[in-house]
Amino acid sequence: MKNETVRAARIDDADRRGGWDPDVDARLAALESPVRDVLGPALEELSDAERITIVPDAHYPFHPSSGMVTDPAVVGAIVARLEDRTDAEIAVAGATDDRIDFDRAAEYLGYPDLLERFDATLVDLADEPRTGGLSGVEDEPVALSVPTRLAEDAVVVVPSLRPTADGPVAGAMRTLAALVDCDAGADRAPVAVTRSVEPTLAVLDATVAYGGDPIAADALFAGSAPAVDAVATSLLGRSLEADPVLSATRRTDDPVTVDGAGVDVDRLRGRISDGALPPSDDPHPAVTTAYRLYAAVAGDAVPPQLEGGR
Amino acid sequence: MTPPLLNRWTDSSTLSLGILGVGNIGMVHLKSAAAMPSVEVVAAADAVPGNRERAERAGVSRTYDDYTTLLSAEDVDAAVVALPPFLHADAVERAAEAGVDVFVEKPLARSTEEADRLLETAREGDIAVGVDHTLRYQPDMQGVKAAYDEGSVGHVPYASITRLNDGPLGRPPAEDAPASWPLDADAAGGGSLLELGVHCFDVLEWLFGDLEVRDASMGRSLETDVEDAATVLMAAPETGTTITLHCGSYQWEQLPEVNTRLRLEGVTGTISNDDYLPGNFYADAAKSALSNVASRFTSDEPDVFGPTFYLQAHYDALADFCDAIREGERPPVDGEAGRRTLALAERAYELAAAEAGETDGEANETDAGADDRGTPEVTR
Repeated sequence: MKNETVRAARIDDADRRGGWDPDVDARLAALESPVRDVLGPALEELSDAERITIVPDAHYPFHPSSGMVTDPAVVGAIVARLEDRTDAEIAVAGATDDRIDFDRAAEYLGYPDLLERFDATLVDLADEPRTGGLSGVEDEPVALSVPTRLAEDAVVVVPSLRPTADGPVAGAMRTLAALVDCDAGADRAPVAVTRSVEPTLAVLDATVAYGGDPIAADALFAGSAPAVDAVATSLLGRSLEADPVLSATRRTDDPVTVDGAGVDVDRLRGRISDGALPPSDDPHPAVTTAYRLYAAVAGDAVPPQLEGGR
Repeated sequence: MTPPLLNRWTDSSTLSLGILGVGNIGMVHLKSAAAMPSVEVVAAADAVPGNRERAERAGVSRTYDDYTTLLSAEDVDAAVVALPPFLHADAVERAAEAGVDVFVEKPLARSTEEADRLLETAREGDIAVGVDHTLRYQPDMQGVKAAYDEGSVGHVPYASITRLNDGPLGRPPAEDAPASWPLDADAAGGGSLLELGVHCFDVLEWLFGDLEVRDASMGRSLETDVEDAATVLMAAPETGTTITLHCGSYQWEQLPEVNTRLRLEGVTGTISNDDYLPGNFYADAAKSALSNVASRFTSDEPDVFGPTFYLQAHYDALADFCDAIREGERPPVDGEAGRRTLALAERAYELAAAEAGETDGEANETDAGADDRGTPEVTR
């Protein structure tokens, strides 16, 4: 029954116009107090760490105001707090995948400039040594190849508040799983990875939430990865029971307790839509089939976009 | 299965084409050309094997992994240059050596300096240069021009144009690796202003005549090498019109919705391109498709890409170029037109850089015309 309390803090940026402040210094300043509040007791667990690796959602260089990635300013504010309160070496990590090099995504998102303010380094886990291991899901062994840094360091995951293309929230566990080689499938790999890595803390960046449209939610939530993902799932209007990753990792069916002044979770849930990511650029197979049939009958050309992967 | 549309015309008046680069836009050109009467696509070149395979599936019998090999091996009348901008000048030089006319994707080059070399090479090789500026071929833009030329709102003191899309990074869900060259200043020559703004300059000049850039501002919403937003203030002396242009590649685009807005504010009212767009894209596409099916039974030629007006504009632009080549005439959107859009973009970059304090005030703020080749180098 441990770790089912999540700490929350509201972000107040009285000088901000509109839902987004493009000035990263202003965002860092506005985040200082809420980051201090949500990290709170977790700093004790991190105080003895020699190295801390922070894992944000930086899967692709979408603009942070869309809610599709973690705002680098949130990461910067966490780094600042950890540097202030620990002696640990701090790294911000992601991994190159078949979509984009992590260095490139991080550069476009502004991480190199941001981290120059601190002693933290930027790490592409695709270039790091890996450690093989076994984890278990539903009493079955699952093989993993985990970046050694994630296996050995204290890990803080900082997911964005958005859905995945498949529907469930991106969350801390799926964000972490994206950096680990594991063939157990979308429902089991995040469970196996979370059990193997055992992240010390998850901090949900709900400064901007994306539930079909972005909305300035102006909140942070921190706690265990499953508890934070449960809060994210609830905020995005999804069923906790319908998410197999949550079902496998939560230690209780009781609601998560959200502890923090200034954050009205029910009101926030009402403001955030429960929608999905935009549809894929690939047209529906029925559309491509119909267009090709039409083109064959009419003698028209088929646009490349409607070739249906041919 | 759609039968290949190639080799429909084989008489001696057939114009033979080579397509240099068959990525996305190159495939649009290939399919357009393949559907044209009296045009034959004889070969295509692309460094990417998957792109060559797509071209072969579309009916191209010979493909090459290098455009220079195509130009030396094939006897083509004209070539479509749908390569990244940093290869345009070299491709035109090779085409000039082979005596092959060229239809070049925009931007014509990465700078006016490079465009001048390209056009000089073309002159020396006695080849024609056309540029794929397609906005003026869209039905909504043609509707605006017709209404404007008829004087339907009287004098137009102010006009605005906006063109936004999501550029190489696209929108969620992230699926494919984005090309690197569009975000590389050396490879592309610039950002949104060269990718989208040059189209806007071309359509504005088509409407209002010569343009003078008065002020400009560039923006980046991410830490990219090139701008993803540009705003330009212009004057059109001939018509007494003040114009603002805004283009950017920061906004998620969901086709078939295309964010291109042109408004002419006249004395008696407004002309908007919205008034000439189909009210319902899908209903209009279905109507066009039915019309094309009916044309099959009346032996009329189909309206190629009829259901998708923005692709149809590419077809019409290439068809105009091919007609001009066949008739021995100058292409309707020629290399000089492409160069003028670059000159306007360069002037905008200069003024924006001067405003941002990136130059030593070298930009001449008095009245630098769009064609001022003596403008200083700009640090972006």
